[in-house]
Amino acid sequence: MKMNILSLVLCTALSVHIASADVVDDMLKTYQAAGAQNFSADSGDRLWHQSHSDPGQAGKTRSCTTCHGENLRTKGKHVRTGKVIEPMAPSVNKERLTDPKFIEKWFRRNCKWVLDRECTPQEKGDLLTYLRKQ
Amino acid sequence: MANHESAAQDRIFVWDLPTRLFHWLLVLSYAGAWLTFDDNRYLYTHVFAGYTFFGLLSFRLLWGMVGSRYARFRAFAYDWPSVWSYLRALFTGNAARHVGHNPAGSWVIFLIIGLGFVVSIAGVITLGGEEQHGPFKGWLAFAAGTNIKEIHETAAWLLLALTAVHVAGVITESFVHRENLVMAMISGYKFGDKAQAVNNPYAIIAVVMLLMVAGSGFVYFKGYLNAAPDKPYVPFQGPQLPDNATWRQECGECHLAYHPTLLPARSWRKLMADQSDHFGEDLALDQETVREITTFLVNNAAESRLSEPAWKISSTTPPDQTPLRITDTPYWNKKHDDIPGTIWKLPKVRDKGNCGACHLDAQQGTFEDSGMRLPKAKL
Repeated sequence: MKMNILSLVLCTALSVHIASADVVDDMLKTYQAAGAQNFSADSGDRLWHQSHSDPGQAGKTRSCTTCHGENLRTKGKHVRTGKVIEPMAPSVNKERLTDPKFIEKWFRRNCKWVLDRECTPQEKGDLLTYLRKQ
Repeated sequence: MANHESAAQDRIFVWDLPTRLFHWLLVLSYAGAWLTFDDNRYLYTHVFAGYTFFGLLSFRLLWGMVGSRYARFRAFAYDWPSVWSYLRALFTGNAARHVGHNPAGSWVIFLIIGLGFVVSIAGVITLGGEEQHGPFKGWLAFAAGTNIKEIHETAAWLLLALTAVHVAGVITESFVHRENLVMAMISGYKFGDKAQAVNNPYAIIAVVMLLMVAGSGFVYFKGYLNAAPDKPYVPFQGPQLPDNATWRQECGECHLAYHPTLLPARSWRKLMADQSDHFGEDLALDQETVREITTFLVNNAAESRLSEPAWKISSTTPPDQTPLRITDTPYWNKKHDDIPGTIWKLPKVRDKGNCGACHLDAQQGTFEDSGMRLPKAKL
């Protein structure tokens, strides 16, 4: 009986893991179909940390880390409202990278805030490749 | 009638213990109500002071019929001519001395008791209307509650004026008849004929009174005993407001999910129509989500009057204005203009849209008066 419960738990945990891997893989395929080349975690890393000038306030900059913080395994903080943001790293936050609709919404919202434009399929793929390893 | 002139110099017992306890507890509850009326955060305490005040007056009504000699209403039920001749005598310097209340004082006392009932009954009706709490919860609409509040406040000011007349009378009488009447209301003793004395102090009744006030205070405030810094006690729980999972999820991702009752419907329509430029950010919500959230917001907007702030915001925002921030509404500004700047700069607060820093029920959207705590500034 104990074995059964253990295997059930293992299967469930595994299936969640596989599901999230599927989600990211599917999205990467979609981006490639839209014209992106091979994805690189290093490019994603660079883009994640790149600073862009703040169109609202001269001298200030914006980057993904402005709100998500330097450490992806810890909580971030919304720079304007102060609302706590759960960790980005899937290794500590199992809910990350599991919902394509959610991911696309935040890409659009946050690319526009940081870069003042939407991200290209290449950039999105690089970012997902970088983030899934965290 | 107990209006004997008296030159006797014996110390005799006049005011029984329940009468004196009533007097000073009434002073305490009355002062407590005045100290707590202005700041909404103390509403719960203010209401307790009011209930106590009402309970004491009710006791006095009973005691005026069955109490000891000088406590009975019959002992100081003077007609107007007696009052008038007493006042005239007072100015010519030969006012008769009374062991119990004098004619002028007695009228002030009856007026204080009567007006006290008006204040406390109007108060509890205000609580039922404007706050939707207490025994008259749900009996009145918010607007009607505010009208009753006018009566409550006017009567309270009149009562304050009467209190001043009462104190002035006590001081005058004390000088005219060379007897400290304040001390008499503490000790119970005055000068007079032994035959005029009261024999029974009714100590048991006084003990029962004290126990009742203390016991009801304990029951009323006992929720605070289980409160902890992370689990504060909110005495008045607000109504259960409408909720929507999509609204709470989507709006709550970046900031407090501000309840629809906090802005007029026209404001929500504009905010949702401009969701691609939401204070500089593109919310990137899909059409279906926008439709669902907009419907929820508009249906439960301030005009729904589901809560006190809803009613206040809908009735005080000029119809030609469409505020996009709750902090832009006249009501919000009026309610927050006395918050010191140091509070806003605290790291815990930081932003005026961070309602939850002070309002413990911000998530529920009820914004009850008693749900407010100003965070302590760290020195």
